[in-house]
Amino acid sequence: MSAFILRRLWQMIPTLLGVILLVFFLFNFVGGDPAYLLAGKIANPEQIANIRRQLGIDQPYYVQLWLFIRQVLTGDFGVSWSTNEPVATIFASRIGPSLIVLVPMMLIETVLSIVIALAVAYVRGSLTDRSIMIACTVAMSVSLLVYIIVGQYVLAYQLSWFPVQGWGDGFFENLFKYSALPILLGVIVGLAPNIRLYRTFVLDEIHQDYVRTARAKGLSDNAVMLKHVLRNALIPIITNLMIYLPGLLVGHFLIERFFSIPGIGREVILAVERSDFPVIKAITVYVALATMVVNLLADLLYKAVDPRVQLK
Amino acid sequence: MLKCLSLPLTARCLALLLPLLGIAVLPASAAPDPAKVLRVVFEAGDEGFDPVRSVNYYSGAVLDAIGESLLTYDYMARPAKLVAGVAENMPEISKDGTTLTFRLRKGVYFAPDQAFKGQKRELTAQDFVFSFKRFFDPALRSQWRFLFDGKIVGMDDFVKAAEQTGRLDYDRPVAGLEAPDRYTLRIRLTQADYNFPYVLAMAATVPVAREVVERYGDDLGAHPVGTNAYMLTEYRRGSRIVLEANPHYRGFKWDFTPSDDAEERAIAAKLKGRDMPQIGRVEINIIEEEQSRYLAFMRGELDMVARVDALAESWREGSGLKPELKARGIVRLDEIEPELTYTFFNFRDPLVGGFAREKIALRRAMIMAHDIDAEIRIIRKNQAVAATMPIPRGVVGYNPAWRPLNRYNPKAANTLLDTFGYKRGADGWRTLPNGDPLTISLTSEPQQVQREHDELWRKSLEKIGIRLEVKTGTFAENLKAAKRCQLQMWNSAWHADYPDGENFLQLLYGPNSEQSNNGCYDSPVFNRLYEMALRLPPSPERNRLYEMMTRQVEIDGAWRFGVSRIRTTLLHPNVVGYRKHPVIHAEWKFIDLEQAR
Repeated sequence: MSAFILRRLWQMIPTLLGVILLVFFLFNFVGGDPAYLLAGKIANPEQIANIRRQLGIDQPYYVQLWLFIRQVLTGDFGVSWSTNEPVATIFASRIGPSLIVLVPMMLIETVLSIVIALAVAYVRGSLTDRSIMIACTVAMSVSLLVYIIVGQYVLAYQLSWFPVQGWGDGFFENLFKYSALPILLGVIVGLAPNIRLYRTFVLDEIHQDYVRTARAKGLSDNAVMLKHVLRNALIPIITNLMIYLPGLLVGHFLIERFFSIPGIGREVILAVERSDFPVIKAITVYVALATMVVNLLADLLYKAVDPRVQLK
Repeated sequence: MLKCLSLPLTARCLALLLPLLGIAVLPASAAPDPAKVLRVVFEAGDEGFDPVRSVNYYSGAVLDAIGESLLTYDYMARPAKLVAGVAENMPEISKDGTTLTFRLRKGVYFAPDQAFKGQKRELTAQDFVFSFKRFFDPALRSQWRFLFDGKIVGMDDFVKAAEQTGRLDYDRPVAGLEAPDRYTLRIRLTQADYNFPYVLAMAATVPVAREVVERYGDDLGAHPVGTNAYMLTEYRRGSRIVLEANPHYRGFKWDFTPSDDAEERAIAAKLKGRDMPQIGRVEINIIEEEQSRYLAFMRGELDMVARVDALAESWREGSGLKPELKARGIVRLDEIEPELTYTFFNFRDPLVGGFAREKIALRRAMIMAHDIDAEIRIIRKNQAVAATMPIPRGVVGYNPAWRPLNRYNPKAANTLLDTFGYKRGADGWRTLPNGDPLTISLTSEPQQVQREHDELWRKSLEKIGIRLEVKTGTFAENLKAAKRCQLQMWNSAWHADYPDGENFLQLLYGPNSEQSNNGCYDSPVFNRLYEMALRLPPSPERNRLYEMMTRQVEIDGAWRFGVSRIRTTLLHPNVVGYRKHPVIHAEWKFIDLEQAR
């Protein structure tokens, strides 16, 4: 196990280098020049050159690339080029609101999806199963934007069940008052595709020989579904979940924008619009690292869920 | 108070603690009522509140509320009229127009802050000297530097020394920026500049105290300390800003002269003689999405809201409001923004540029083919008015009787192209006079509203047989190309920094190419007229020069004049005395809250 973890950690280095090179290439050869944005409405070429000098983007590429690598190694990405706020402060202050919304959303969505998927798989082929699958297909066809606009209008404005938007200072105030509607809408949006997907995972297992054997041994339906089928279906479910986990770091732009949540999603979009390279670099590296760590975690979880899995 | 003691000492806490320390906090007016809480909204996030670094409109609004510049504007006068701000009077200007002398009001104090170590800190002329030098600090990369660049005697040498060493020596004197005594500020200009007083009314020029800059350093943007009616007490960047009455603010009596407008007269009748500010707390929420803003307003979570044009069908009925909004006493206020959208053609471009007659004909034909009414009706949802000059309404130099030369007329545009040899091929598309294919390139951004503008251009040019290709890029990429005079044609916009036509006409001045003149239009006639106008004080004679420049721009087909947007503000009936000022961003100290919500 330790050798496996060490090997995987070692393999992260070339992957991270690849990410650094890709981001560096995209910023320098595809993105706009931040000096022109920072120069303001009226600036002469000398002032623009001065800004480029201060930002260090007039340096040879190898110097800039080394600076980037050093930032990754030290974890210090400097300050935002557009607001002068330290990048670390930006992340520290914005990640909290995003997580307050996204973590409960993901947990509720996952638990509900698994329970409903197990239930509909159990009654597969029935009217209930078909009705839920049709409802899921319809729900998946509607844009997230429509859910947000209609949900905000009906549930918050017309029925006054939730605030239209806003964000407070207290954790519980934010979780139960301001995040309730965004979480509800996020869960509704995420349920449909997840139920369909997880139902398929469960159905794949239901037809396996070991399930027939378990039934032949006289185990109850509950025991078969929860102890045997669910446990084996968890591996693809974990894979699916792990794909979404790094996404927590980039927030949810639409939800944050509509409900005025000061999360990281809005900050990332702003950074891209402003060519704010320090913020872009930091978020890309954080997401890449999170993806690699989560992948490692997923492999370890496979082993925990199914002892037959060999970590090589 | 206990909470205050347990927390880092904020300005608010300091205000509470000062009396306990034996330091008197005696506001000149007892007017601000902490129970009067105004809840407003910004449509986008701020960028901090360092005057020299923050160019964002919303940062400017907060700076307007916190800081005081030498000059300001009369709240009710239209067109905007300069009046003394923190200066006692308007400046004494030397005969040659190059020296401006300001006498500061005595007894103007900064809001309490830890930087002052518990002492009341009076504003002095030296604060302005220090603050104006900050525009040239290379480390601050001030986007407002152009306001002072090349204008103050001795500043160039001062800046050169800073650029050589990489740091600005704030203690080094500048000949044109002097404080001969505590309350006198003398500015010597390199040449007469009759628009310079406007610069001294901008939020960018509010003074900062050196102690505050030294205490907060790079984080000054989160700790603005000024002398105006409000001070920052809560700041969650991109989300929420709370201002509370500055206990050191001297206050004033509401005493403005209304126009003949009945509503303005009613405001004056109600507020005249009242001690201001009345509002004790201003809560600013940043809500970027229009639907969220509108619903929050309708739910009573906001006292006023603006820029909800996309939802106009929900609240608009003709030029008024829907009956259900009227029944709730909601008031609609329309104000044309001192801004202008325009499309420029690149004069260095081989296809559309230059002053050859056939190039002028091509540009003017394209301008005449563009259906501005369709833009206002479809894209702007009637929340804009067509621009007729390169100077928008409400700005000095605008002539309401002006008859533009290149009005919408596709038939005349076709005739013009036929006359100058742009023949139609068998496929219906025109070619250049030499027979080469003619395809115009419009630069755009990948946003829905831009796509609508692109489509309108495409349809407009189709009417005159010109093929259009749209090149899409990010704003940053396009801006870089524009500054290098590399874009053939681009839709742009300009919002008045100050309400004088010169602020817009400089966008067409040849020597400003690669700076603000993105079309790189360089007409000797226009340039000469512009330079003549610079030497004149505001006068009918100068306005005539502005009109001559406008005509020259039309003759050369340098710009397609676009629109000025109408800013509609919806107000709940508890808000009293609100008029949107064309230049002041924060009108909060001039208004009151009366009825219960």
